[in-house]
Amino acid sequence: MPDQARSIAPQSVRRIGRSLLLTVPMALFTLLLFTPALREPERPAKLAALITWAFMMMLFFQMMRTRQTYRWRRIFFVALGFLFPVGFIWDLIALRGSMSIPVERMLSGDTPFCFMVIPMTLIPAALTRTIIFPGSILPTPSNPHSIAIMAALWILATVILGKAWCSYGCFFGGLDEGFSSIPKKARLRKINPKWRLAPWAILVAIVLLAAATYEPIYCKWLCPFKAVTEFSEVRSTQTAIQFGIFNALFLGLVVVLPYLTKRRTQCAFFCPFGAFQSIFNWTSVFDIRINKEKCATGCVLCQNHCPTMAIDPSSIAGGKMLSTCMRCGACVDVCRKNAAVWHIKGTTVGIATERARLLYLYAAWVFASMFGGAIIANSLQKLIGLIV
Amino acid sequence: MGSLTEALVLGLGSGPVCLAACGPALLPWLGAEPRELRATSRLLGLFLGGRLAGYLGFAVVAWAAGMALPLDLRLRTLIFGLANLGLAGLLGVSACLPHRTCPMVASAREPRLYQIGAAKRYRPPAAVTLGFFTGLNLCPPFVAAGVRAAATHSLPGALIFFTAFFVGTAVWFIPALAVSPLRRFRSVPTIARMAMAVLAIYYAYLGVVGAASWQLVPRQSAQLVILISGMVTHA
Repeated sequence: MPDQARSIAPQSVRRIGRSLLLTVPMALFTLLLFTPALREPERPAKLAALITWAFMMMLFFQMMRTRQTYRWRRIFFVALGFLFPVGFIWDLIALRGSMSIPVERMLSGDTPFCFMVIPMTLIPAALTRTIIFPGSILPTPSNPHSIAIMAALWILATVILGKAWCSYGCFFGGLDEGFSSIPKKARLRKINPKWRLAPWAILVAIVLLAAATYEPIYCKWLCPFKAVTEFSEVRSTQTAIQFGIFNALFLGLVVVLPYLTKRRTQCAFFCPFGAFQSIFNWTSVFDIRINKEKCATGCVLCQNHCPTMAIDPSSIAGGKMLSTCMRCGACVDVCRKNAAVWHIKGTTVGIATERARLLYLYAAWVFASMFGGAIIANSLQKLIGLIV
Repeated sequence: MGSLTEALVLGLGSGPVCLAACGPALLPWLGAEPRELRATSRLLGLFLGGRLAGYLGFAVVAWAAGMALPLDLRLRTLIFGLANLGLAGLLGVSACLPHRTCPMVASAREPRLYQIGAAKRYRPPAAVTLGFFTGLNLCPPFVAAGVRAAATHSLPGALIFFTAFFVGTAVWFIPALAVSPLRRFRSVPTIARMAMAVLAIYYAYLGVVGAASWQLVPRQSAQLVILISGMVTHA
């Protein structure tokens, strides 16, 4: 017994030491990102930045220590999803006293730009060199969420991470992930796999309608997250219908269905931006593969645990995830045979998988800290300001 | 000859807008139809024929009404509302019952059978009907062409002007054939049908709003006249 204890102790000490060593570069780099906020004269801003930085580093350290990704990423992502509306609504109330935006403010370019609009702007921009969104290209005092900043961040993240944007960058996805995490077991298990194609259909419909009407159709009619961010001021029957649609979609797709299915239903079966982002899984060097030599039992644990149904029997047989994989890591963490592995394109599947995971996580976590961390810090600052 | 060239150039110049206006109805529908390029080309031809019929039919009715129709906002709202409802119905049926709207596809896939009992009623090809409804949904370039055609002072002259304009715009529809190779992805027809269902809801909404509110719309709009004359000047 004492011999056993002696052999376990150095092992765990070594693991903690290794994890700390791997966390140090990330901690130093992200500290640089948070330095401007830490130098703020206001105490709530300083405190919020410090808490966010510590929170992000604690999660990264746990990812290194436990060699698990999904569990710790989910904590960050859910925090981002639930805190984003807090800071956003706070800013809206401070700027204009309401969550609704009047048409006059829209026309003056005061609508905050959101990445969801990007696919809808492409055809009109190509045809007329016009961005069909009532926002501003560069940040202004009345609208700091400008088109140029969001587009630059999106391009940077997309080229490197592909659809992992939906696991580390999207400030909406954390809401349905949060609600899907509440129940222990899914109550609705049988979902027709054809629904996986619905986001593509919505993408096709909104892109074509945006080109026909020169309006961001998704934002105007279908975005469930308008319910917790910003919406057109209700002044007519049409805006009242739109307001009703936003709330119904939010309740259905972001609250009720994730709770019943334990899946990210909005992301998997509705979000057109997610479908668009799937295309960029080709540009990213990172992916997840299934080592067919190790996967012989047919347990389909990975398939059952995938939050977006990006794994099916054909993808297991082919050793690759479907194009809708968001690289959240749920399948890798749940696989008992270590058959689902992180992978860098061009290398042999199943070799140096932890190294592949580390490289991926360094890239993803830097982005998560820079983008999501800033959002979390902003919201925390408001909440801390209430107390301090 | 000069006016023909003008109509052709006007069509070529404003074709992308026409394609964008008809795209939501045409492209998903082509995506859900047969894979072969020849079959897709035939469907596109039928669609364009239907669209031309819609254009010319509207032009004849407008001419008969003394060209007041295109500028009568109330009637236009009603016609657009009904056309949108027709479009929504057709897209909805195509989305839910894929083989009902295209008998050609069904017959190509099924073995020949001897018919027992009453013969089937003739149904016009869905592509023509779809084209006809989109033709009734007058896009801004078409209205501009309509006003310009009115200056020819004769019905045949106006119809020839329209046809030349239509040929100019039709060139821009050729890239729609690129949908055909996409059919090698098995999921494309399903996606296309789902998209048609979404679009059917959108057009149904537009149709209901148009059909329900046409009496509330003022008969004439000075702004519209200015807009149209501005477009003609620009063209």
